[in-house]
Amino acid sequence: MSLWRIAWTYLWHRKLTTVLTMLSVALGVALITAVLTLRDETRKRFEEEGQTFDIVVGAKGSALQLVLCAVYFMDRPPGNIALDVYEAIREEEFVHAAFPIGIGDSFQGFPIVGTTSEYLEHTRLDVRTEERARVLAFAEGRNFEAPMEIVLGAHVARTTGVILGDQVVGTHGFIELSERVLEQVGGHSHADTPYMVVGILQPSNSPNDRALFTDIHSVWEIHGEAGHFPEWHGAEEDDHADHDHVDECEHEYEYELEREHEHAHEQSGTSPQEQQTHAADQVTAVLVQLDSPGDRFYFKDLVNRKYNAAADIPIQVIERLYDQLLSTAKTVLLAVGYLVVVVSALSILIGLYLSILQRRRDLAIMRALGASAYEIFGAILIEAFWVTLLGIGLGWLLGGATTYGLSAVISARFGMTIGAFTLGRDALNAYGVILFVGMLAGVLPAWQAYRADVARDLARA
Amino acid sequence: MITLEQCQRRLGPGVVFHCEHFHAPAGAHVALWGPSGCGKSTMLNLISGLLTPDAGRVVVDGVETHKLGDAAMDHFRGERFGFVFQTFNLLAPFTALQNIMLAMRFSDTVPSSEWRSRARELLERVGLEHRRHSRPATMSVGEQQRVAIARALANRPKIVVADEPTGSLDPKNAQAVMELLLEVCDEAHVTFLLVTHERGLAHRLPNQFDCSVLIREEARS
Repeated sequence: MSLWRIAWTYLWHRKLTTVLTMLSVALGVALITAVLTLRDETRKRFEEEGQTFDIVVGAKGSALQLVLCAVYFMDRPPGNIALDVYEAIREEEFVHAAFPIGIGDSFQGFPIVGTTSEYLEHTRLDVRTEERARVLAFAEGRNFEAPMEIVLGAHVARTTGVILGDQVVGTHGFIELSERVLEQVGGHSHADTPYMVVGILQPSNSPNDRALFTDIHSVWEIHGEAGHFPEWHGAEEDDHADHDHVDECEHEYEYELEREHEHAHEQSGTSPQEQQTHAADQVTAVLVQLDSPGDRFYFKDLVNRKYNAAADIPIQVIERLYDQLLSTAKTVLLAVGYLVVVVSALSILIGLYLSILQRRRDLAIMRALGASAYEIFGAILIEAFWVTLLGIGLGWLLGGATTYGLSAVISARFGMTIGAFTLGRDALNAYGVILFVGMLAGVLPAWQAYRADVARDLARA
Repeated sequence: MITLEQCQRRLGPGVVFHCEHFHAPAGAHVALWGPSGCGKSTMLNLISGLLTPDAGRVVVDGVETHKLGDAAMDHFRGERFGFVFQTFNLLAPFTALQNIMLAMRFSDTVPSSEWRSRARELLERVGLEHRRHSRPATMSVGEQQRVAIARALANRPKIVVADEPTGSLDPKNAQAVMELLLEVCDEAHVTFLLVTHERGLAHRLPNQFDCSVLIREEARS
């Protein structure tokens, strides 16, 4: 019968106290686990996607907005750049591939991305093997070949229930609203120009899962000919007279439309009428793959110097976002987690200390049977070890379950599936620290047991 | 086997335990007899090394135990002594079998491969083999004391000390337990020290040591 078994038997003997102490450790560990897993996994996914394209070129302004819009399809377009820029960049030295991106419409809240059919065949460079592999594959149907044909990402198809051969109608902007609400707030759908679904992609665990892809000519055709901006403004003015019945959600949508509209003007420096005229000459961004990732900085500088556009390295922008903005949030959450762990350590200390007071006679009997003071000290430390270890195990499960719950939200919002039950290096380090703190909490009770007066404790009734 | 010479231990302000001379040869059965508070338990603690003398000598099985360090004394005690207490002192979370095995765990006397079989053997000897998986709380006081006797013999000790072993038992159980103790100590050829305040019980053993003069009050200056 080892000391481990003896310690375990005593813990089992006072199950309720053990479970409550273990739970308090588990809560702190769960929080730390969830924060670290979410950070590591989302960062990994973002970086994976950020590595797919070496450079993103778009309108001058916010680099983060450009990257989030063009690479992750998560933000409004910061503005447009001339089509000439895309055509010139495509011909530049070092360029492996370049894809135009035109974003402005959505279907049930999912962005409709105008591009070339080559985009759906783009590859990702494996830096270890230096080989390129295709990122996307078709589950059904084929690539778009003509304007007004559209391919659905896996999550879009699954969520909307749209199947091959269906028609989908795009809506200007990125907010999902019903036709009735759209009419009330002055926006509108492109009901007169529906897309035909010709393909559905396999899940790729990337933002492509929650986007629809069509020929960029389709986007130009819809916006060039329809000229939505002036129409929206006219409709808004009409609706202002009858504003009382418009609810808060609709106000919000109106505001969003207006912001997008004004922002586009600021970026392009043109009037709505001019923009309507030139819509077919513009793209939201150009995604560039270089022959070698080592040329990223050179190429970025080249584009910034040579063209009336801004070039950024997606992976660099994302790393900056994580390091500057998100690291603060992570630090705060981790601090809360460690605080919970410290409180848990105190409860381990109090729990063990009280248990030692109750078991003084038992410990004295062990000493009388021949147990050394060191063995008693070790047995108490092992109890602290067991409680902390079990707390860590339970906390890891709770944290994983929390992350698993959140991964569904992240998947729906960002198109990225994240692993819930992982063991990152930071998490392992954190568990090591927690285990140490837990055992440290056991030292005082263990010391108390170590220096017990055996004869006196045996004489206790 | 056991010798105390000029053994002294301060118990409190002005209160001193003093044993001029005590000797128990190997295999002897000795009753340490005297009223409550006379120093019987202190003497037992000094013999078993649970207390160390402030002065004098304690020799057990040829070893001057008062010179041993704490760890060595713990080890020595585990190997040479078996204890039977008034309140049984079985460990509540463990079964009867585990309580006996636990005693072997803290000593090197019995190889670990034999712990289980020896524990069962001893339980059988005290008539409780069928209760081997029972925890103390589910056993009668008589059964608990029989398990404690089995535990005292676990490490094949040379000395068994019993401190008021029948103090918590009814007369019928007390009689049975005392008979069992004497039997097993005879079988194992161990030195048996019985601490009791009952003169009748003390006289069941061939040797008695009167402890009533062990505690002295120091003269105040």
